[in-house]
Amino acid sequence: MDRLRIQRIRELAIEKALFLCALASILTTLGIILVLIFESISFFEEVPILEFLTGTTWAPTYRPQHFGVLPLINGTLMIAVGAAIIAIPLGIASAVYLSEYADLKVRQIVKPVLEILAGVPTVVYGYFAISFITPLLREFVPEANIFNAASASIVVGIMILPMVSSLSEDAMRAVPRALREGAYALGATRFEVSTKIVAPAALSGILASFILAISRAVGETMAVTLAAGATPKMTLDFFESIQTMTAFIVQVSMGDTPFGSIEYKTIFAVGMVLFVMTFLMNIVSMWIKEKYREVY
Amino acid sequence: MTSAIQTINLSAWYGNKQALTSVSMSLEENKITAIIGPSGCGKSTFIRCLNRMNDLIDGFKTEGEILIYSKDVRYIDPVELRKSVGMVFQKPNPFPKSIYENIAFGPRIHGINSNRLDAIVEESLRKAALWDEVNDRLNDNAMELSGGQQQRLCIARALAVKPKIILFDEPCSALDPLSTSKIEDLMLELKKEYTLVIVTHNMQQAARVSDHTAFFLYGKLIESGETKQIFKKPKEKSTEDYIIGRFG
Repeated sequence: MDRLRIQRIRELAIEKALFLCALASILTTLGIILVLIFESISFFEEVPILEFLTGTTWAPTYRPQHFGVLPLINGTLMIAVGAAIIAIPLGIASAVYLSEYADLKVRQIVKPVLEILAGVPTVVYGYFAISFITPLLREFVPEANIFNAASASIVVGIMILPMVSSLSEDAMRAVPRALREGAYALGATRFEVSTKIVAPAALSGILASFILAISRAVGETMAVTLAAGATPKMTLDFFESIQTMTAFIVQVSMGDTPFGSIEYKTIFAVGMVLFVMTFLMNIVSMWIKEKYREVY
Repeated sequence: MTSAIQTINLSAWYGNKQALTSVSMSLEENKITAIIGPSGCGKSTFIRCLNRMNDLIDGFKTEGEILIYSKDVRYIDPVELRKSVGMVFQKPNPFPKSIYENIAFGPRIHGINSNRLDAIVEESLRKAALWDEVNDRLNDNAMELSGGQQQRLCIARALAVKPKIILFDEPCSALDPLSTSKIEDLMLELKKEYTLVIVTHNMQQAARVSDHTAFFLYGKLIESGETKQIFKKPKEKSTEDYIIGRFG
């Protein structure tokens, strides 16, 4: 009888302890969101939200001050789009190769190498961009700025490539072998099996990988801070210096902006925009995953 | 009698593991040949050699000859080979697409003009005795069909590329008795036009549908002949033991 009771108390204690662990991460997240919201509200008491969201000049740190966040959003989107243009085709091609073409030995070597690529600290990518990609780029486009969006896009593209290829490959390999055999038995070539049977069946996972990767590119900080420059600008020219939301936050957090000042509070408003963007993308990715799931 | 398929001293290995040992047999045109034997006896390996399906497996290799209408399969492009030697699998494996697209897939990849597809889809579904059940919902997802309907869809899909030979790898093992008898009736109908090979675990099924039966054991062909003879008067002791259920 006693032993049973002790056992029950032990089980209960374990359960509560595990629950507390889970609670800790939820509370932390909630705390971050609350700080973002409160600081943003106090920012918007001084700067009208409409001016913030529609203004095309971002100059919070010198006079006259301007708080139009669009140049930062523009910069962030340029990096995201540029990185996607690089990572999506390469990522999907390597996923098809790894999942459908490569034999076991090749896959056992290539896949871990790709995943190591994902583990390289992003600051390393940053100086890889300035010390290698930018000089190379300037060989071909001499008028390119030392800090430019193209170089940052390329390096962020390389950074998110493993995410696209690895997640897409997982989605493709989850497609049952029986479906492939069914297609081969009808005389389909490997390419037809990959593109007409496997990829459509894995579509939801593949699309979700794109969005997660783009969301990562939007949130990427270190490499773009180093390579893209610190010039918030409404431009579509990839060879100019720009600034992303994340890079701006770094600039203010690192600089000597007085705590509590309006300049300081901008980072919470910008952080809020960033958070909403990546949050929406993650939701879209989950929604796509549900909606386009081909049941096999 | 013309032989549609002939193997000469066919041996096969998965890596170092030998799965077939020197199998020589010939399968007649427009007949149903049943391949029977206990699990792991090489019967699936055997039919998967006939359309080179095993080529897809790492480390698989064969020795000996396989002749399809007197042509050595090693010298036929696998795409061409699989066009003329269709296959239906153990578990129904329709593509997660519409019923129509399942049938149209084969003709499409072989470059059939799309204005002929409607006719091919109807003809194939009719031949597979599925048309009446699905003609009003060709655009529905094939995964919504019942297991038996899915298997007939897979047969229709195989028919759509106009094969000469169709291989059935335990086609009824995942089906209920009613669906099974529909597939068996269908096979008897199909043998007028096609040469059929069926791997089966089910003795009664082999006896019901096949003209010829081959018994495999430990990767070897023990005996083959007319189904009646194999079931009534097997020459080999092990065949008799297997048929009356002493093992397997």
